[in-house]
Amino acid sequence: MSAYNMYVFGKNGLLLHYSEWNRKRRSNMTLDEEAKLMYGSLFSLKNFCRKVSPLDFKDGFMCYKTTSYMLSVLETLTGLKFVINTDLNLSGTRSLLEKIYSEVFVEYVVKNPMWQIGQPIQSELFKTKLHEVVNQHVASVQRS
Amino acid sequence: GMNPNDDGMFEFLHMELVAMLLESEPGQVSNPSKAVVSHDIERKDTGDAETTIQSITLSSMEYIGFSTGYRMVERLTKDWPRFKDELDTMKFICKEFWTSVFRKQVDNLRTNKQGVYVLQDNCFRFLAKISQSQQYIELSPKFAVYTCGLIRGSLANLGMTCAVTAEVTSPPACRFQSSEMA
Repeated sequence: MSAYNMYVFGKNGLLLHYSEWNRKRRSNMTLDEEAKLMYGSLFSLKNFCRKVSPLDFKDGFMCYKTTSYMLSVLETLTGLKFVINTDLNLSGTRSLLEKIYSEVFVEYVVKNPMWQIGQPIQSELFKTKLHEVVNQHVASVQRS
Repeated sequence: GMNPNDDGMFEFLHMELVAMLLESEPGQVSNPSKAVVSHDIERKDTGDAETTIQSITLSSMEYIGFSTGYRMVERLTKDWPRFKDELDTMKFICKEFWTSVFRKQVDNLRTNKQGVYVLQDNCFRFLAKISQSQQYIELSPKFAVYTCGLIRGSLANLGMTCAVTAEVTSPPACRFQSSEMA
C-alpha cells in the first residue's frame, strides 16, 4: 500500500508544491510541463463531470482509477487543489487530503509569514510535516 | 473550552507585524514576487507606494509589545495578592502571563539571583509554525521582538525596570533574558 506522489496547486494553477514517495515511472516531461498538463486535465475533467452530471453537482470531481493507480483530488473553497496518486488499495485518501489541507497547509504555510501568497512553498517544516502525515496514513491503513 | 482557532487572529496579526518589519529593512527580504502576487490582494497604490506604507522598526514593534504587556498585566493581576519578591513576580510571568498569551507555561526559569532571569520556551508559538531547523534562522529573532516588549511592559507595570532580549539557537525554542536595570 503506498502513496506515489502529490501536487498542490494554487488558485491560478501555479504548482505550489510537488512531493514524491515511490514513483516507479516518470513522464518524459519536465515537472513544470507535467504540472501544467495535470492542472489542465483536472480542469477539463471537472467541467466534463459538471456538464454530463445527471444530478446536482456537489463535491466536484474527486478521483479516477486506472488498472494500476488511483488519483484523488481535493479542491478547497478557496480554489486550492491537493492531488495525490496512490495505489488502488490505499483507502481514506479523501480524509488524508483533508488532513493535509487543514493540519499541514493551513498550519505551516498559511501561518508562515515567509510564504508569499500564491507562491511556491519553500518551508522545510511544511515538507517534513507533509511526509509525516502521509507516512502515518499509509502505516495506519496497513495495520487495519 | 478553548478552541485552538481562537488564537488565529492574534497569530495572523502578529505575522503581519513581522512581515512589515522584514519589509521595512532593506536587504533582509527582497520582495520581487510582490509584483506578481495575484491581483485581488495587490495593493492599489503604485509608484509612490513607499511613502504611503508606514514602515515599522524593531523598536516600534518592541514598544507595541511593551504597551500590550503593560496593559495586560493590569487586568491579569487585579484579583491577585501582593507578590513576595522578584522571583514571585517572574513566576507569575512564566505561569499566568505566559498562559494567557500563549496557552502554555514557560518551560524553564533560571536566575543568577542578581537580577538576571532567563525564561526558556521550548516551543515558542511564533516560531512553531515556521521552522524546526536552521532554515530562516537569521530571521528568527524578529519573531521574538514583540514578545520581548510584552515581558518588559508587564515587568515595568509590576515595578521591575528591565532590559529584555531574546536568543534563538534551535527553533522553535526561544530564550528570553531579562536584566534588571539599576
